Amino acid sequence: MSTTVSSDHILQTRGVSQELGAYVVAAAFARGGASCTFALGDGSVHIAPRAGGVWRSVAGHDGGVLALAPGAGPADFVSGGDDGRFRRIGEDASDIATFGLKWVEHVASFADAKTRLLACAVGRQVHVFDGSGKKLKTLDHPSSVTGLVFDAKGKRIAASHYNGASLWFVAAKTDNARKLEWKGSHTGIAINPDGDSVVTAMQENALHGWRLTDGGHMRMTGYPGKTHSLSFTRNGRWLATSGADAIVLWPFFGGGPTGKTPTELAGGDGVVCTTVAANPQQDVVAAGFADGLVVLAEINAARVLPVCGPGRGPVSALAWSADGAHLAIGTETGFAALVDFSKQQ
Amino acid sequence: MADATGEKVPVTVLTGYLGAGKTTLLNRILSEQHGRKYAVVINEFGELGVDNDLVVDTDEEVFEMNNGCICCTVRGDLIRIVGGLMKRRDRFDGIIIETTGLANPAPVAQTFFVDETVRDKTRLDAIVTVVDAKHLPQRLADSPEAADQIAFADVIVLNKTDLVTPEELQSVEAAIRAINPFAKIHHAERARVPIADLLDQGAFDLNRVLAGRPDFLADESHTHNEDVRSISFEVETPLDPERFNAWIGVLLAERGADLLRTKGILSYAGENRRFAFQAVHMIADGDFIGPWKPGETRSSRIVFIGRNLNRPQLRRGFESCQAA
Repeated sequence: MSTTVSSDHILQTRGVSQELGAYVVAAAFARGGASCTFALGDGSVHIAPRAGGVWRSVAGHDGGVLALAPGAGPADFVSGGDDGRFRRIGEDASDIATFGLKWVEHVASFADAKTRLLACAVGRQVHVFDGSGKKLKTLDHPSSVTGLVFDAKGKRIAASHYNGASLWFVAAKTDNARKLEWKGSHTGIAINPDGDSVVTAMQENALHGWRLTDGGHMRMTGYPGKTHSLSFTRNGRWLATSGADAIVLWPFFGGGPTGKTPTELAGGDGVVCTTVAANPQQDVVAAGFADGLVVLAEINAARVLPVCGPGRGPVSALAWSADGAHLAIGTETGFAALVDFSKQQ
Repeated sequence: MADATGEKVPVTVLTGYLGAGKTTLLNRILSEQHGRKYAVVINEFGELGVDNDLVVDTDEEVFEMNNGCICCTVRGDLIRIVGGLMKRRDRFDGIIIETTGLANPAPVAQTFFVDETVRDKTRLDAIVTVVDAKHLPQRLADSPEAADQIAFADVIVLNKTDLVTPEELQSVEAAIRAINPFAKIHHAERARVPIADLLDQGAFDLNRVLAGRPDFLADESHTHNEDVRSISFEVETPLDPERFNAWIGVLLAERGADLLRTKGILSYAGENRRFAFQAVHMIADGDFIGPWKPGETRSSRIVFIGRNLNRPQLRRGFESCQAA
């Protein structure tokens, strides 16, 4: 990408950043939107107020943090660690549940006016809790759970694993999963916001999808590497993915993605896209690359804007605030930034 | 620590049949004052007597790859665990993976060749197999996994030598050699072996493939076809690389399920460097390593460890690779 101004221009003029000293595993914004959290490989959690000011550090896990999500409340977060703990991160960290030597590898949450749900994946089991941390149920899977996500309405929860994925109704009296089957190792999962399809990443550098309406299969292939990051755009028209040397966007309209060529943005320099995050308000995708470059890509205009330039370590975490105005960035070498895209005077 | 140099994290795989002394050895490695920290991946927690904050409890999950190769299996749980450990890689110098007593070591080994993340961040250093000198003959008779664990080993700890007579020890060692002529064998009582003999072996480093000349037994007359054994060949005429690739490619594709490990040092026609080659079942890896030393005999050697090995056929195949 050639730019006449520094590729760090936006970071310098609209961002705040810190070197946190350990691998940034995940970033998330609180539901209320007042703060953003970075979870690190050294077990620490760093909370940055969106309005500016001092970043607060909390001892999250004894070991490394493996997963992070917003909590059920307006200002808290939930995290999982290799210390076997599923924790709530507020003023400090407290246990929701503990699992001995097993890792808590995935966490998810959902909250609206009526329902508040928390979930974590430990080995083959998914544990579902209410917003207060009371356990509601445990869901068993045929092999270890590799990805966990609630649908947009909090009605269903889906988990990826070996030979497919399982889709559960959270409120069901008897738990029977809808089994989405496809041979092979599935390593991550996303549900389309329209609720009509589930997509997994696979060990073999491909994605697999199931149309829930008719059980049809979707194959999305051609990646040079594994896809670690999947993100649907706000209305589910596009699925943004990592794993190639461009942002690969699959169309989920007009009969796609089957038989359609994906749109590729911000490619051409041979550097692998490691992380993607679709903006919750507009058809814009933030993408991070292995050299540290972060860009915003406007899908319909195919326009790419650099946010920060290469040199701060492979991008390992990206998250948008719910209003789509703030972007959190984290890298494998411990760089963390919060960038404000709202209209400025 | 590991990340300061950007070097790949060494991984040691510890195998051994139930009761052979694997857990005793692991406890010994962890409690010895060697100034290094290890992340330990175990399956049977409870016996470990050492308090180590980097112990990971896992369930072995052997997954087939969708690459059309039936024997290409990997440990899905290890792919996830190595990925997780790499987020805190400044906390340890190496990884030790203990397998269950009945485990076939192939999926563990193949994981380190097949998965891109694991391959990028770690290197398989060696497979260490603990065997019980007293009970090995019985194990070999009743369990194919016992032979697999010896076949895959780079280092064998021949444990409980105090429980056998010198004659029994000799015969057990001969049985091991018939299966695997290139593993280093260390005798031990109560799994007492210097740590330096187990860790940092570089056994999968192409530069060290067949570094020591394997000691083959002359007598192979009493083996059954389904027994694991080894066969080696040596030719002095330089090889034609294209012929070799064509032959070994077809051989591994067709017979990979029976070929547990293959290693070779090859002399290619018109090439001043040695070519090193190794394979675990169908998954092969090869590259040029340093030049032949002045005065060194430039011969090509290849070793197969496996089942149902057809010696005349393999010999004819290897000899047909000689440059015209």
